[in-house]
Amino acid sequence: MSIPVIRSFISFWERMNGQKQDAVKSLGALAVIFILAVLVSPTTATGSNIFLQLGNLTDVLRQGSIVGIISLAMTFVILTGGIDLSVGSILALSTTVVALVLTRWQHGPSYPLEIATAIFIALLVSTTSGALSGAIIAVFDVQPFVVTLAGMIGIRGLAKWLSNNANVDVGFGQDVASTFAAIFRGKTITIACYAILAAVFYILLSRTIFGRYVRAVGDNERAALYAGLPIRRVKLWVYSLSGLLAGFAGVLYAAENHQGNPNAGVGYELDAIAAVVIGGTRLSGGKGTIAGTIIGTLMIGVLTNMLRLNNVDSNVEMMIKGGIILLAVALQKQGRQAR
Amino acid sequence: MKSLRVLATLLLALPAISCNRTTSGKRQFFVAFSQANNAEPYRAAQNELMTRLFTQAGDVNLVIADAQQDNSKQIAQVETFIRQHPDLLIVAPNERAALTAVMGEAMEQKIPVICLERDILQPNYTTLVHSDNIVIGRMAGEFIRDYLIGKYKQPKGNVVEIHGLLGVEAAINRHKGATDVLAAYPNIKVIADPVADWIQARAKDRMTEVLRGQSSIDVVYAHNDPMAVGAYLAAKELGREHEMIFVGVDGLGGPAGGIKKVADGILAATFVYPLCVDKTVEIALQMLRNPSFHPAREYTVAPQLVTPQNAAELYKQTTLTQ
Repeated sequence: MSIPVIRSFISFWERMNGQKQDAVKSLGALAVIFILAVLVSPTTATGSNIFLQLGNLTDVLRQGSIVGIISLAMTFVILTGGIDLSVGSILALSTTVVALVLTRWQHGPSYPLEIATAIFIALLVSTTSGALSGAIIAVFDVQPFVVTLAGMIGIRGLAKWLSNNANVDVGFGQDVASTFAAIFRGKTITIACYAILAAVFYILLSRTIFGRYVRAVGDNERAALYAGLPIRRVKLWVYSLSGLLAGFAGVLYAAENHQGNPNAGVGYELDAIAAVVIGGTRLSGGKGTIAGTIIGTLMIGVLTNMLRLNNVDSNVEMMIKGGIILLAVALQKQGRQAR
Repeated sequence: MKSLRVLATLLLALPAISCNRTTSGKRQFFVAFSQANNAEPYRAAQNELMTRLFTQAGDVNLVIADAQQDNSKQIAQVETFIRQHPDLLIVAPNERAALTAVMGEAMEQKIPVICLERDILQPNYTTLVHSDNIVIGRMAGEFIRDYLIGKYKQPKGNVVEIHGLLGVEAAINRHKGATDVLAAYPNIKVIADPVADWIQARAKDRMTEVLRGQSSIDVVYAHNDPMAVGAYLAAKELGREHEMIFVGVDGLGGPAGGIKKVADGILAATFVYPLCVDKTVEIALQMLRNPSFHPAREYTVAPQLVTPQNAAELYKQTTLTQ
């Protein structure tokens, strides 16, 4: 590369704001992992690269979609300076509710109407759970960690109580529950849901006043208060959205796994937080992007897939993931000091 | 950008630690095993035995993936295995419903599939190797009946049954089998049936509550050995461990397993729920080496009763080989 090219690149880099620099860096890290995955991927008998097979790439997307959807709203929550530990339990509650309605409600009107109703009830219950946490956090000014920890325990209890501790199995027959699973377990549907929600939340954060409020609350709550921003309403909204998306992820989970499972989603809240953090969102709030979170989700997905295709020991896989999270944080820190 | 370079270096070291692809002149078979949860002792024992037997075979490259008791993780792992197109796929499903569809996908890709130990909703496998929990439940019921007849000269007495995770096949059938036998004797009463989710600590707590409420207990029947041991610990704490006997299921080898607990006199009996791995490897090798071999749809491995009479001998067998 000749000197002028490097110089123009450097000046281009310097003209970008910090957020864009971060995005480019995250994208760079994703690209590194992706290229590496291609290079180390085993090949089939006919010599084609397994990692690059369309089926495998869509596997990565589908496998990342459930936690990916949760992490979209988690980004909003973390941007306000909060945290939501209850999403794994809300997912379990949602799988249970949707499966219970579909299997217990015999002789409903028509399949589409019954499926829509079941999904609606599950989403309503989930959103209400999230809104309840949000209301307590906003009105009584309690730490989000404590409130959502309580939610995490209590909501899982509710899911187990509703299902009497047992899984609610969805079959493979012709009944309404089976039809629901057959429709929503499709790879295309799952990935499309994630893509659409990602787009919606991207626009919501970067192009709307609500998005600006979310950031402002996390950046400096006192300043936001003095500026007359509706802080309480913003908090109520982000936790409701978090509940809604966890519930939606639960509907997809129920279809994919053919069951409502009150024990589902244990630890998913931490997976979602990891994706958000790797994507460059500051845990103390105020700074971060949806694009970053999506990149974070994809990084984890590609990395996991690469390690599995190479049959790396699952314990080593966990160690490497831990290292990646630390590296992501180091990258952010470095960026901030440079500015 | 320095960290980025560190990241790249770290990841480039990856091929060095990835643990497959031995290349020798002989045809190596690639066998992929998706295990439901390595954290359970029973399943850890399965992994260990399978690794040992396939290593002995010499021409098999075995890869084990751990789903950590998470259906979604296991589906993802099986999907990834399908991309690698192994010569044989072995799946120990975490739960029946969740794994059915993805195992069907493997079959569609013409990958032979052995379903280990837990049946799925549709026969999406080449062959199923399992044992029978109803038979185990029945054997436990008969053992309890015979013990009570020996104690009182007639079939009567108080039984506490500690359940595993509700809704799981093993818990349902270990209960059903025992109930099939004991229901015929109205004077044998199940006076408490707490749920302890397979977990020893939980069983100890539940049993403590039962002991507070019940003044006379003859037999504690737990759906696995750790829960039976938990119940024993609760009774011992209250000085009542000689009042009753403790019966478990699983009968694992090794110093922490149920067979040792019988040999030590803590449990009166346990039933070996076989690992089913010997049979699996035997069939797997035939399937791999002999293309004209067609396995049966199903193989059932028989459970075995462990009492103080044969515990020491069984312990030696199961532990020396490990």
